[in-house]
Amino acid sequence: MIQAKGAKGLRGLGGLVLAGLLAVIVAAFVVARSSGGDPVTTAGTRYAVTVTADRNTIDVRLGRGEADTVTVAAVMPAMGHAMPEVTARKTDPGHFVAEGDLFSMGGGWELSVRLTGPPGEETITFTTLVTD
Amino acid sequence: MIRLLRLSRLPCPVGLLRLLCLAVLLVVTSASPAAAHDVRAGADLRIAQTIAGAELTLVIKATTRVPGPLRVEVIGFPSAPALDLRLRSTADGRVTHGTAAPRRPAQFRVEETGPHELTVGAGGETAVIPFRVLVDRGSGWEFLIYGGLFVAGLLLVGGLLTGAFNRRGRPAFVVTAVAAAGISVAALIVVLEPWLPTGPPDGAEPRPTGSVLGRPYVQRVVTTVPARPVAGEEFVTRVELFDGSTGRPVDDLAVHHEAMAHLVVTSEDGRYFRHVHPLRAAPGRLEVRLRADRPGRYLAYVELERTDSGGQLLTGSFTVAGPAKPTPSPGPGVQDAAAGTVTVTPAVPRAGRPATVEVVTNGTPRPWLGMAGHLIVRAEDGEFLGHVHEMGTPGGRLRFTFGFPAPGRYFAWAQYATDRGITTVPFTVEVPR
Repeated sequence: MIQAKGAKGLRGLGGLVLAGLLAVIVAAFVVARSSGGDPVTTAGTRYAVTVTADRNTIDVRLGRGEADTVTVAAVMPAMGHAMPEVTARKTDPGHFVAEGDLFSMGGGWELSVRLTGPPGEETITFTTLVTD
Repeated sequence: MIRLLRLSRLPCPVGLLRLLCLAVLLVVTSASPAAAHDVRAGADLRIAQTIAGAELTLVIKATTRVPGPLRVEVIGFPSAPALDLRLRSTADGRVTHGTAAPRRPAQFRVEETGPHELTVGAGGETAVIPFRVLVDRGSGWEFLIYGGLFVAGLLLVGGLLTGAFNRRGRPAFVVTAVAAAGISVAALIVVLEPWLPTGPPDGAEPRPTGSVLGRPYVQRVVTTVPARPVAGEEFVTRVELFDGSTGRPVDDLAVHHEAMAHLVVTSEDGRYFRHVHPLRAAPGRLEVRLRADRPGRYLAYVELERTDSGGQLLTGSFTVAGPAKPTPSPGPGVQDAAAGTVTVTPAVPRAGRPATVEVVTNGTPRPWLGMAGHLIVRAEDGEFLGHVHEMGTPGGRLRFTFGFPAPGRYFAWAQYATDRGITTVPFTVEVPR
């Protein structure tokens, strides 16, 4: 009886240890391959922007410079895809959002953010990862 | 008996190993190729530039920590002017200035990893070189190694204490088993670490794992400023690059043989030859100053490589007007010297079969564009251009192996660098029918 109980307990413990180890491995794997959706901050000469992009939304926050209009053109260099230019809507001062079917697929996209406003016109280009 | 029974039901290390191996197999992926223009520990960024009439290589030295120092060196072939440098972080816009010359490196400080721009100015010319500062972060797997060892160490002490105060064996046994599991995990990760996937270094360009290789072809527009250059007068050769699929300027050039692009300009008759490294004046726009001594048609070849792609050769041409004017110097950093005896083996090469070209050097060659020597071969009609590399021949000789693709006459230029600068040895090869 004691024997059976001990063996059962041990099995449960072993299962727990295994589950814990697997969880650690999966977590480490996710950390190691962490990707996507991270905001990208880029400073031009007139404006600085922090952009977060996913398949349906491009969120542009201005760190420097007051912009009146913000348009975004997206290109996927690896596939040779170009998307139509979209004009982002001003939601708050210094905050612009573009919505819709903005990217034909997930992956590395080069965004050209064109800003106009009192400081002048500037296009800031950078690469971001768009997740599905 | 009891002990044996318990042992057989333990999550034994062999079972753990199997499970871990399975998990590892599931997560191992192939390493993605390195992105262009990266500066990271153990990998300096070397970029050849033709600026202010000089041929030089700019070396952005690797950095191991950020914030930390970033050194920029200049190697002249044979000499280089003092360069005005401006380092700008594209992430936060911070700008610092410096000056660099051969043996007088510029010392900058970088505050964060990620995209930067180095603006290089000399003699009224400016190049903007984008690059990324990367710092390797410890792999996530180290956490498992140290975690496993930590658990094992902790539990071994616990096991000793349990053993000392507890007569019954079970708790001590459990503690020892978990400790053994900890050590097994740590040991397994130590052994497998070279094959485990690691995260990108800090500051790396965001890119998906398992990136597709190959990007669309590049379309080029080759022009000169002024549009009709005059013999003996300096002019700018401008190469504009556009993506064949999107029409956007191509600004993702990888460093290819230590340059963003190699531009070879030859006169139609092969008497004029320049191998230069144009400056990135703007995204997708490369420029270099040249001077031609005679009027006529000139052929331009641009050798470059896009990130994640193979090499491409783009061609163009322009016409130089006016009466012939011998130029005082043969061109940027180049000494044309019939300074080498050239031997071609077999003496009468056959089309499509490898021939060996051996050039006796005047002086000891030093590495230039990552190689001891370069051989540029152009078909007389200009329809073919080859760029051959020396394969490491000891002594004062350069040996190239090349198969002339079709019968005909070829103009060839062997190039190597010594302390006196870059020597170009021109010769011609006849490939009979």
